[in-house]
Amino acid sequence: MKKTHSPSAVVRVAFISLVSLGMLVPMYILVINTFKSQQEILADPLSPAFGTATFQYLADAWNNPDFSILKGYGITFALVLSVNAIAMAVCAPAAYALARTPRPVSRLLLFFFIAGMFIPTQVILVPVIFVLRAVGLMGTLPGLILFMTATTIPFTLFVFFGYIRVLPRSLDEAAAIDGAGKYYTLWRIIVPLMRPIIATVFILNSLSVWNDFASPQMILGPGSDVYTVTTGVYAAVGQYSTDYTKVFPTLLLAVIPILVIFIVMQRHIMSGLAAGAVKG
Amino acid sequence: MERKTPVRPRGWRNAGAGVSMVLPAVLIYVALLVVPVIYAFYYSFTEYNGFPTRVPEFIGLENYRTVFGSADMTDTMVITAVVAVAGAVVVNLAALGLALLLQRTNRFNTFGRVVMFYPHVLSALVVGFLWQAILGPQGVVNTMLEKVGTDALPFLSDPDWALWSMILVIVWSLFGVQLILYLAGLQAVPADLLEAARIDGAGRWRTFRAVTWPSLASTVTVAIITSGISLLKTYDVVVSLTGGGPAGSTKTLAYSILAVSFPQRNIGVASAQAVLLILAAAVLALTVLVLRRRAEDDAESIG
Repeated sequence: MKKTHSPSAVVRVAFISLVSLGMLVPMYILVINTFKSQQEILADPLSPAFGTATFQYLADAWNNPDFSILKGYGITFALVLSVNAIAMAVCAPAAYALARTPRPVSRLLLFFFIAGMFIPTQVILVPVIFVLRAVGLMGTLPGLILFMTATTIPFTLFVFFGYIRVLPRSLDEAAAIDGAGKYYTLWRIIVPLMRPIIATVFILNSLSVWNDFASPQMILGPGSDVYTVTTGVYAAVGQYSTDYTKVFPTLLLAVIPILVIFIVMQRHIMSGLAAGAVKG
Repeated sequence: MERKTPVRPRGWRNAGAGVSMVLPAVLIYVALLVVPVIYAFYYSFTEYNGFPTRVPEFIGLENYRTVFGSADMTDTMVITAVVAVAGAVVVNLAALGLALLLQRTNRFNTFGRVVMFYPHVLSALVVGFLWQAILGPQGVVNTMLEKVGTDALPFLSDPDWALWSMILVIVWSLFGVQLILYLAGLQAVPADLLEAARIDGAGRWRTFRAVTWPSLASTVTVAIITSGISLLKTYDVVVSLTGGGPAGSTKTLAYSILAVSFPQRNIGVASAQAVLLILAAAVLALTVLVLRRRAEDDAESIG
């Protein structure tokens, strides 16, 4: 960098500030209008109303009889944990076996899994409904968990494969000489070395599970009382989209947990994303 | 060192351990991803209303004729293509441009990166509702316009405007991710080449054209296509921002499948639409594979 105050630097800073402002204004609108009445919002949606600010609407959204946001957090959180746990529990052994048996069969199987990354998941939900119905899991949480796990398997397995392949084989051989079995070697030696990639995969899969709307909407269906954060927001806001005292507080409650997590772990999330993509 | 018969870990010799390790992943993946794709193909040649008591009735290519025959559904495909192509191009150009501006790591730039990335952690559904409250007929922007005495703008209520409003909302929420990926890609641009260009007296634009772009071009192409693949299935934001309207002007293929054909119990048509999307995604994915292979070859010939 030559001089900090060259004209081009000033233009650059001004431009980035402008874009940043554009990124933040929607969030600003969301936050300030959560504490205002409908008349105040319609009269002036851009300025905060410090004098008349009220938590009334936020409390109403929290106590919405149609959709308990607390339950929504709980269910979505359970979903995130189960999908991650199952996906990793089945992908770690599979990736290990494929990475350590360099036969054409393994290459073929790996390719078969990678192809799944390009299947547009929203689009196959209709046949998924029939498959789940056939095994009696339609409209249930286990059914949703299994489907979401299936959608995360291709990416998880692919990234794990890439990581395990470059771990030295001498590790396995040393363990084998000491009499360790395959599973022991995997869980006690390989998996502990995979911590960085497990963290990356966990972050990326969690984001996609937490934010998914189509799968819970279709699989849990409108009939069941089980709502994730997204389907709950849809139920709570969908038909009242002009009643801003419902819209803004509900949306704010929906984004608060993920925003807090993002702000706390921002560096890990962004570098994890870059790492995951470079691997892919 | 002399290589004796390699020590083969216990259990590898018989395929048993390997199979048992791969099997659970294969089972879940096949049952809930591969089988549904096969079913989509099968249903697309049948007439079926989804009731368990009915048997799908084979009708050949009739559903595809329906899909290509009605203006409503071909419009859906055009809209999907516009969203995928325009969205992918704008997302990536914005991301690349800003990545070049935010390359240097300092407080200000780090702040900029975080601020541009954060919409990615919000669900597309919430983003759609939020922007609906901003751009809608009684939304924030139009309220402000009225206050200053100007006419309201039909961001979401005019068919021509709505599609581009939606694409802009998609760009707003997605370009931050690509930005981070480009920042990672820019680090891979050989520093000695940049140095050499500077010594030769190349200006910023020349340096970009001669050094940065060639080593980044394949990344950009792959990124545009990958974004396009994920934009093919745009659904959530349609639900919350426009509901497919006005007059079907933002009805994407995924929206048409899940919110129109399926509720109408037109499983055959919904499946035919799904098959078309799967094929489009497959073609794009194969293009990515070929391009990536070529990029690797290029990298080897340079390096």
